[in-house]
Amino acid sequence: MIRLDNIEVSFGDFVAIPHLDLHVKPGEFFTLLGPSGCGKTTALRTLAGFIEPTRGAVHVDGKNVTRLPSDKRQVGMVFQNYALFPSMSVWENIAFGLRVRKEKSADSDRLVRDIARRVELSDEQLHKNVAELSGGQQQRVAVARALVLRPKILLLDEPLSNLDAKLRHQLRQELKDLQSDFGITTVYVTHDQDEALAMSDRVAVFNKGVVEQVGTPQAIYDEAATEFVCNFIGDSSPLTAEFISELNRLSGANLRPDAKSYLRVEKASLTAPLNGGAAVGLAGTVVSRTYHGLHSRYVVRSHGADVRLLVKEDGGAHPEPGTQTTIYVQPGHVLQYHPETGVALAGKHQAVALP
Amino acid sequence: MSGASVKNGGGNAGSARSMLRTPFVLMVGAVLTWFIAAFLVWPNLNVLISTFFPDGGFSGRASEKLFSSQRAMKSLGNSFLLALALSITVNVVGIFIVLVTHYFKIRGSRILFFGYATTFIYGGIVLAAGYKFIYGDKGIVTSLLLTVFPGMDPAWFSGFFAVLVVMTFATTTNHMLFVGNALKGVDYQTIEAARNLGASTWTILRRVVLPMLKPTLFAVTILSFLTGLGALSAPQVLGGREFQTITPMILTFANTATSRDLAALLAVILGVSTILMLAVMSRLEKRGTYYSLSKVSSALQKQQITNPAANAAVHAIAYLLFALYTLPVVLIVLYSFADGAAIQTGQISPGSLTLDNYMRVLTQPSALRPFIVSVVYSALATVIAVGGLLFVARLLQKYKNWVASVFEYLLHIPWILPSALLALGLIISYDHPNPLVGGAVLTGTTVILLIAFVTVKIPFTLRMLKASFAAVNTSMEEAAAIMGARTLYVFRRILLPLVLPAAAAIAALNFNSMLDDYDTAIFLAHPLVQPLGLVIKANTDGAEGVEGVANTFVYTVLLMVITGLTMYLVYGRSGKRRSGAGSGTTGKRRGTVPPAPSPTAEARIAEVADSRAPAQAPVS
Repeated sequence: MIRLDNIEVSFGDFVAIPHLDLHVKPGEFFTLLGPSGCGKTTALRTLAGFIEPTRGAVHVDGKNVTRLPSDKRQVGMVFQNYALFPSMSVWENIAFGLRVRKEKSADSDRLVRDIARRVELSDEQLHKNVAELSGGQQQRVAVARALVLRPKILLLDEPLSNLDAKLRHQLRQELKDLQSDFGITTVYVTHDQDEALAMSDRVAVFNKGVVEQVGTPQAIYDEAATEFVCNFIGDSSPLTAEFISELNRLSGANLRPDAKSYLRVEKASLTAPLNGGAAVGLAGTVVSRTYHGLHSRYVVRSHGADVRLLVKEDGGAHPEPGTQTTIYVQPGHVLQYHPETGVALAGKHQAVALP
Repeated sequence: MSGASVKNGGGNAGSARSMLRTPFVLMVGAVLTWFIAAFLVWPNLNVLISTFFPDGGFSGRASEKLFSSQRAMKSLGNSFLLALALSITVNVVGIFIVLVTHYFKIRGSRILFFGYATTFIYGGIVLAAGYKFIYGDKGIVTSLLLTVFPGMDPAWFSGFFAVLVVMTFATTTNHMLFVGNALKGVDYQTIEAARNLGASTWTILRRVVLPMLKPTLFAVTILSFLTGLGALSAPQVLGGREFQTITPMILTFANTATSRDLAALLAVILGVSTILMLAVMSRLEKRGTYYSLSKVSSALQKQQITNPAANAAVHAIAYLLFALYTLPVVLIVLYSFADGAAIQTGQISPGSLTLDNYMRVLTQPSALRPFIVSVVYSALATVIAVGGLLFVARLLQKYKNWVASVFEYLLHIPWILPSALLALGLIISYDHPNPLVGGAVLTGTTVILLIAFVTVKIPFTLRMLKASFAAVNTSMEEAAAIMGARTLYVFRRILLPLVLPAAAAIAALNFNSMLDDYDTAIFLAHPLVQPLGLVIKANTDGAEGVEGVANTFVYTVLLMVITGLTMYLVYGRSGKRRSGAGSGTTGKRRGTVPPAPSPTAEARIAEVADSRAPAQAPVS
């Protein structure tokens, strides 16, 4: 559906994106995830036609659109702050594109009402000023305005970033539902990993203009292809060579002690797993405990590593700082990266680091 | 409300009652009450009384006289015609120059900006005089044109057309300040969104951008209308016999005792129209939010005009306007170095440029005197206005109750009334011994102009000072109070140092705007102590011959340098302003100076309103 081939974007001397290849499948909810300034918005704007790449090609639905202006690409966009026209009513905002196209006014009205119904905006709301709407309603107007022109792709540029946490959670679901209702190919930009994991079919993790990994949410979480992805997504503790050697000795695993190794916080535990599995216990000392209600966060020092882990507050034992304890770890859960390149070491990992 | 509880360790310190228990407040309050009663309320009330109740009972005689006076009726018509025409021309030129400097990609837009901004450094009588010396019947350009086209009318630049042209150029300062800033506040994402939806450059401008500027455009339109309505110096200098407007008429009628009631009635009409227009303005401004709805907006990027023909045309017009704006300034500076012969014939050679004119103005007592008079008046008025209002602004910011509100409204009287009305009020109230000022007669003395200067500067000074006090973090006073500091001590040691940078900036702007004052001085100045504005005006009538013209050029250059310098110190160096202007103003842009994009319509109207005072540009 969308193909970015060999894209390079630079602003003067600054190369924002040195080399980018992406392929988004039809109907997919595809997310560009990364910290601010990583080039994800630049990639989206290149796709939208606001930035012309210095090299490479953009294809939409098999057609090369690299040199086409934004409005000829059949892409709809929802901006970070929705970019609703404050001087117009809701109806006028949604009808803007139709009127620019000189659609008949009866047709426009029908199309506007039709799309408004589908995003659940009432007739009464259509005649309000956009400033009178709540954040959620504004988002629906922005989506309706983009979709009324029947674009092939919907682009969303951090549409939830300026909302408070509660509304963000609610709208996240609403947006996802709208997308599946319309079945429209969607490219979503965010810096919020939670959002990316919960909403996407696939995620591309960006860092300094380069895609570090493309995969399903579960793949990028469990099998982070690079050290950056491992650190950016989720929470994990760095392990020491001594710890790895001990783990190898106890389990007979073949982990490399010289690699950069991490363990996700939820993968370590203070109690032996019921089914045993491949878990082995390493001796450690409790350094600290922070109570969070639902769970407690522990830091346990073991073989030079400060291992962070979560203990569910279900009435079980909760050792105090200073006490000796045992951490149970499955060697297969340890994520290992090449000390220089930061690329995941070949092992059971299926994830592929992209160029 | 707010951190009012500093005083006396807390309690209900913001209430009207607690206010009256404080000696400091009582003292300031007493002085303020006297000042407001004597110089803001009574004179204007007196104008109404002498118009409609000249002998104790109601009389329509003034109205009858007005309706039977052809000249007066014509001047009324002319004023409204000028106001309407000006509202249109200023918007056309103003929006155009704002778009080419801020919105479209135009080659050399920075240079264009400086050209259009020349009206920031000279305005009022100075600008009108400058245009007359250049395009008037004996003007430099006219003399040059006459050598090429001997048959042309030397007085081609006069009457309605000349007044409209000069005032149009002079009044676009408001557009540069306010529309320019409003444009910067437009969220660029809305423009991208419109483009993504298929809109053309022209459609985006017309349907998306201009509608968002509507409130600001309304405000500047009304300001232009009011400037046209109250115009004084431009019609006087360039209007000629056939185009006279209300304010020059008021001046004429005020000079003879028998027609003073007529002058008063015209002033009342002017005042009522002004109040009505300002009421309309605040109504329009309160309707709807047109500003960016969100916290994350992206900065405006300049738009390329894609149609090559349109692009060329816009460039051509932009540079033509640039020439029109800068020509007077360039010629004034150039001819300020020229000798009399060159000024008379318009023909100048590099050899004839000397510093003689400057030497004469700066050494000859008669030439230097008006300059000194203006500097002394401006300095005194500035010190009194800013110094006195420092206390008042502090109290008004601190106490939010009905007494304070009443005082604040009364202090805004000079803002809603035209200066001709204020001046006339002072004349007719104090031309006989009046108990309000200890039985003294003020009319004809040097004091009355000083009083008028102080009065006129009150609204702007008060707004700005109040804003800078409001910007001071209240916990600082609270901290001082907890440690036992008394009210005055807190004011002197904590608040004053924080507010001082802003106060200095306000003082500088005030000083500037009074240096070339004409509108107030023409009514009130002592015949022997004539400030600069009056001397410049006299020179446009040829009073001092060609030497007077040369002197005026020098005065103008000196004023431009002073104003330019002040503008640079106050508005310029914007990067440093936040930190440099001191903590007294951090966090609130309006602390020091008004022009900055403001988040709400309300704040904007305050800013626009303020412009009547600081942007001294409009010729009136």
